[in-house]
Amino acid sequence: MTINESIESVRKSFRTDLDSFPSDPKEIDSLRSVYFGRKGLIAGLYISLADLPNNEKPEAGQSINNFKKKLQTDFDAKASTVIDVASTTHNQSFDLSLPGFPITNGSIHPLQQTLDEIKSIFKSVGFKVAYGPEIEDDYHNFEALNIPKHHPARDMQDTFFVKDNIVLRTHTSNVQIHLMEEREPPLRYIVPGRVYRNESVSYKSYCLFHQIEGLFVDKNVSMADLKGILEYFVKQFFGESTVMRFRPSFFPFTEPSAEVDIWDKKRGKWMEILGCGMIDPNVFENVGYDSSIWHGYAFGMGIERMTMLKYGIDDIRLFYQNDIRFLEQF
Amino acid sequence: MRVSIPWLKKFVNIKQTTEELADMLSMLGLEAEAPESTSFTGIVVGKVITAEKHPNADRLKLCTVSDGQNEFQVVCGATNVATNQRVPFAKIGAVLGDDFIIKKAKIRGERSFGMICSEKELGLSEEHEGIMILDDNAKIGTDFEEYLKSNLEYLEIDLTPNRPDCMSHVGVAREIAVKTGQKLDFKNAKNRNVKKNEVSELLSIKIEDKNDCPRYIAGLVKNISVGPSPKWLQDLLASSGQRSINNIVDISNYVLLEMGHPTHIFDFDKVPSNTIGIRKAKKGECVTTLDDEKRTLTNQLVITDGKNPIGIAGIMGGLDSAVTDKTLTVLIESAYFNPITIRRSAKSLGMSTEASKRFERGADPQGAEHAYWRVVGLLEELAGGEWIPGIIDEYPKKISQNTITLTREKINILSGCDLSDTFVKDTLSHLEIDIKKDGKYNWTCIPPSFRPDLEREVDLIEECCRVYGYDEISSSFHYGGLYDLAEVDSEDVLSSIAKTMSGLGFRQCYLNSLTDEKTSNLLGAHSVAMQNPLSSSMSHLRTSLFPGLLETLNYNIRNGTSNVNLFEIGKEYRPGKMYDEVVHLTGVMHGEWLSKSVHNDDQHHSIYSLKGIINALFNRLNVNNISFSTLDDDLYEYGLSIKFGKTIIGHCGKMSQSFLKILNLDIDDVYGFDIELDSITSAMKIITNYESIVHYPKVDRDINFVLEDEIHSGDVVNAIMKACSEYLIAVQPVNIYQHESLGDNKKSVTFHLEFQSVVKTLEEAEINSAMNDITAIITKQFDAKLRD
Repeated sequence: MTINESIESVRKSFRTDLDSFPSDPKEIDSLRSVYFGRKGLIAGLYISLADLPNNEKPEAGQSINNFKKKLQTDFDAKASTVIDVASTTHNQSFDLSLPGFPITNGSIHPLQQTLDEIKSIFKSVGFKVAYGPEIEDDYHNFEALNIPKHHPARDMQDTFFVKDNIVLRTHTSNVQIHLMEEREPPLRYIVPGRVYRNESVSYKSYCLFHQIEGLFVDKNVSMADLKGILEYFVKQFFGESTVMRFRPSFFPFTEPSAEVDIWDKKRGKWMEILGCGMIDPNVFENVGYDSSIWHGYAFGMGIERMTMLKYGIDDIRLFYQNDIRFLEQF
Repeated sequence: MRVSIPWLKKFVNIKQTTEELADMLSMLGLEAEAPESTSFTGIVVGKVITAEKHPNADRLKLCTVSDGQNEFQVVCGATNVATNQRVPFAKIGAVLGDDFIIKKAKIRGERSFGMICSEKELGLSEEHEGIMILDDNAKIGTDFEEYLKSNLEYLEIDLTPNRPDCMSHVGVAREIAVKTGQKLDFKNAKNRNVKKNEVSELLSIKIEDKNDCPRYIAGLVKNISVGPSPKWLQDLLASSGQRSINNIVDISNYVLLEMGHPTHIFDFDKVPSNTIGIRKAKKGECVTTLDDEKRTLTNQLVITDGKNPIGIAGIMGGLDSAVTDKTLTVLIESAYFNPITIRRSAKSLGMSTEASKRFERGADPQGAEHAYWRVVGLLEELAGGEWIPGIIDEYPKKISQNTITLTREKINILSGCDLSDTFVKDTLSHLEIDIKKDGKYNWTCIPPSFRPDLEREVDLIEECCRVYGYDEISSSFHYGGLYDLAEVDSEDVLSSIAKTMSGLGFRQCYLNSLTDEKTSNLLGAHSVAMQNPLSSSMSHLRTSLFPGLLETLNYNIRNGTSNVNLFEIGKEYRPGKMYDEVVHLTGVMHGEWLSKSVHNDDQHHSIYSLKGIINALFNRLNVNNISFSTLDDDLYEYGLSIKFGKTIIGHCGKMSQSFLKILNLDIDDVYGFDIELDSITSAMKIITNYESIVHYPKVDRDINFVLEDEIHSGDVVNAIMKACSEYLIAVQPVNIYQHESLGDNKKSVTFHLEFQSVVKTLEEAEINSAMNDITAIITKQFDAKLRD
């Protein structure tokens, strides 16, 4: 048998032993001596060197050295995995104070969380969800909502224009119009989405934000129903003990119109949270609904504002800065 | 708008505190806020007894200030300090701001015992030019906080654009009267006898377009003397935040704030033509307005002297025809302009004045007449003027109020509560709405001319509801609506993708969809531009979510978080005939996905962790049939297309340095992916059919081939799958080994194969035969050798 053949035979037996590697530390030790012990198989290889002619000895010696190194690495690697498992099973001398693996976790943006929560509250009382375009024509964003050109109400919303007749929607109410144009009443929807205002960026305003709009059209819908749904929502979202009030206001697309405030205990004052009202008959006429038969309510709120009030966040820009030290809190 | 409470009290009884009043008005729809009082310690109302030049400093004054008991020497730097003034005096020990304590001092050799304060030093305003001068009647020695409180009798009202009538004290007082059941104590100035119309011989009015100017009233008052206003008028103006100018200007302002109607007073001698014209400006015409600005006009409505503009109608008068100290005869203008005309003018000139705000919301066409008589009376009373009998009242287009039928049925449907007939009628008449016919179930009503917002039945219902109080309407929780077939919320899937990404260690971001032109066009895309951007850095809609995410990644790395995985679900926008808004899931990752610990080495992100994450995501979403193919793109140093079936739905890879450089980001080893979501949501199996669990055992086999180095393991995997499809359920490369003993440019790859049948336990022979088939095919196809 040449040296190479001997090495190859040891390699084969070693592979087999690796596959059926013992788990008991004592057996591992005895297996170790089978290969690496003073009378082990590797030692045997070195002994057989003596039989070789002198000129072949260095090269063969080198092969055995390499082979030994490789075997030792493989054996130690295998042994270390097995020994770990073994110690776990036996629970001996185990440092339980060590930290676990450094598993990282992600997070859901607070605005997404608020959106999901608001949607689920309204879904629970029969609202469906619809979406619409952010790049919108003047008609759907303004005129159909009873905001004619050159009306002071246009000042309530600073607008980005893409073209003279195309805007970035200033509210999600454009989807009200699309929905009513496409469907026959009755209908009951909420509409979330991104909206834009051409206002300089500060702690309290950003050039865009997210709104969620609600819309309910049926024959017999009243202010009392509107108050009911919003009271249900506010108490679900902010907690049962939330104190709220309905304050008359003005929106071109609702009449009567109202704003809802909640009492902020920390600040000691009323905080406005949403606008709402009974859908203006002009809006119904614009979409071809007969306003003598159909009535409805609509409401709209800012998701950023709701999130800020819920968590006491005082700077809207934090939502768009995405600092991990902020995100990881949610 | 600032509303003075003493002024309101002239028209209505007010028993409430300022806060209560603010609350009451807010609940009526006039959002009102009471001023916040500030607290001070150690500051009193002082009187300046002497104020002389400091012996050692030209810019300083040496004063004596009395606090009513003692006199103090004080060094003061303000130029406006003078004897007999009442001033806020901070004594030794007083605290200004958070922690500035007043101490004895020696300034340029003179001792100073306290400080005379400016508004800025008191934190009341930014005014720091000189000291604050208090009311002459202020009692010396009074605590300054007390003094301020008595001067805080006003409200700030943020009016909605539908209520021009409330842009006046009478208007606000009327609301209070309605809510508290009082009668408003206000009468319009009486019309005088104008049979002897002398003024018509002195002045003529020419209205070019009656739509722009439906009504124009003018008259003359002569022999006036211009001078300071009486104290009561100055005080009243001051209480609503207006500075007194002179008696003539103050009269116009007073009438404006009292009854809300804007008037203008010209110096009649500066209108030698004796003609007033109202017409559209010609392009390029100029007029210098009262604020000393030269305005170049386009087609705004102007007031002319028959020829040239002498004022911009409804916005601001001209400087040339303004009242001066020498004015003797004045022309009073009291008009009603078309709201749209005035709004267009004001917008086009970028002007917003007290007058324009009222005209563009809708002034009172009848109020024009009342205001005229009010101004005439005041000019006689306060400026010694003599009215030239007569009035010119050009009223070519009569403005009349709609007749509205209010029905019991609609009140009930919309309010959802029980408003009694008595309540409805009382409310309407308190609001000065004329009930023409009082039917059993309906009322025929005509609103007053100062309420242009009341046009329809719903408008009257709103009036009833808001006066009743929205909070008095009981909420209804009993709506019996229809059960409606549910539509799937198309964005539910986005929410579940967000949850999956979060579980995979990614943080969700929300990013600005407005960006700069360069970034939006970076990837050779066409983008949607704003006509009126907020700034050049936000002028276009984004065409990719990558730049924002990469900037956020960079921001977080700079702030000390080196291992960052971020994603956003958001829209990209593209121009076209119809604008495209496409939802994408884009993610970036950097650093380690597993940090070093006592248990393990650190694991850095690589193209393989990226592929693993994408696979895990699709797996979770029940999207099978995802594959990758190499992609050559400037975005990536090396990249892959992500395919669903045969459709490319996204791409991923190691972000190229050139792309990061363009974004000015100095980071490397960033991996990213971008998936168009719209195209895969349809591919998702939201409801998966249950597949029964296979109970027959799985058999594992390893097979080891020696292959040419350049052969891709993935190709071999595909070939193995193809070679034996019956029982083979999975193939994975599990080990790659390279050694010179294998030969030049060779590698040994171990593949792990899993076999399973859904109908039986596999026989050893069946698997062996499959393995033989695989060996034969692979050795042939890839010129491979089996390694044992």
